[in-house]
Amino acid sequence: MIEIVINPDYCKGCNICITFCPKKVLQSSKEINTKGYTLPEAVDIDACTQCKLCEIVCPDLAIAVTPK
Amino acid sequence: MLKHPMLEYINEEGSSGKRFPHILCPGCGAGQVLNYTLHAVDDLINQTGAKKEDFVFISGVGCSSRLTSHYLNFDSGWTLHGRSLAVATGVLLANPELKIIVFTGDGDAAAIGGNHFIHAFRRNINVTVLCVNNGLYGMTGGQVAPTTLPFKSTPTTPYGNIEDAFDLCKLAEAAGASYISRWTTAHPIQTIKAIKKGINNKGTSFIEILSQCPVHEHKTPVEMISTLKEMTVSLHKSEDSNKIPVGEFHFAPRPTWTDRYESIIEKANESVS
Repeated sequence: MIEIVINPDYCKGCNICITFCPKKVLQSSKEINTKGYTLPEAVDIDACTQCKLCEIVCPDLAIAVTPK
Repeated sequence: MLKHPMLEYINEEGSSGKRFPHILCPGCGAGQVLNYTLHAVDDLINQTGAKKEDFVFISGVGCSSRLTSHYLNFDSGWTLHGRSLAVATGVLLANPELKIIVFTGDGDAAAIGGNHFIHAFRRNINVTVLCVNNGLYGMTGGQVAPTTLPFKSTPTTPYGNIEDAFDLCKLAEAAGASYISRWTTAHPIQTIKAIKKGINNKGTSFIEILSQCPVHEHKTPVEMISTLKEMTVSLHKSEDSNKIPVGEFHFAPRPTWTDRYESIIEKANESVS
């Protein structure tokens, strides 16, 4: 099963992962971390192809996808 | 809990407390370049059998230069403003087998470090220079830099910049770098490939990465990424375009400074004996 984990301590809510995802798996959520940044969430996990582009482009090393 | 694979190379905790998340602003291009570089280094470690101890990271002063010693779990040096290439030359003389990666910004490389920049390239020292170019002085408040595009307004040029911008790739080619390419933070896969090729190249490799500063440009990171995509064009389509070309500009390996230095040592030893 594929899992996408967002580290709430590291994420700064820049939404770059959402822009790069080719399958539109990620979306901005209503969850806010302790610093006030809006976190992304995986809304369509079945569409994820584990291309790992979100992991590669994250400036804060905050997102992780289950390894292939 | 599932963790980002590149956190393996990061000091999350230091002697004086937590070091991560890093100091950079949300959506900073320098953070992305750090991620791309770690992916490239990770690939080299896993595929070519390079060791973690073989890599040394050097940087000067600036936003992009904050990426080295404070966060990385590699040998690294955080040096004087603009002098990262001078320190890298010294490191190389101590051990020519090291793979040296220099993080520098446009202010660090083209403004205060301009002379070190051209002379390191003239000598063709074996380093990989990653220049994170956001077109302004990010750390001090977004002032005009030598790489700011003409007519762009910044806090020190409120009615628009009257100067033309430096083309760092052309400067590097004229100075004698043996591998030169330019990408943007919106080209992750290409940037990782370029960094790997740069590290494998014996000689000076210069990779300019056009990057975003969402704070001083007053835009969201997502808008900045799409601007970077719009303002650039691939090198082979760039002839009739006034956009900024991206791609591999130059690849011509030639003897490095340390190769020549070693041959001089041999020659000197022969003449003595």
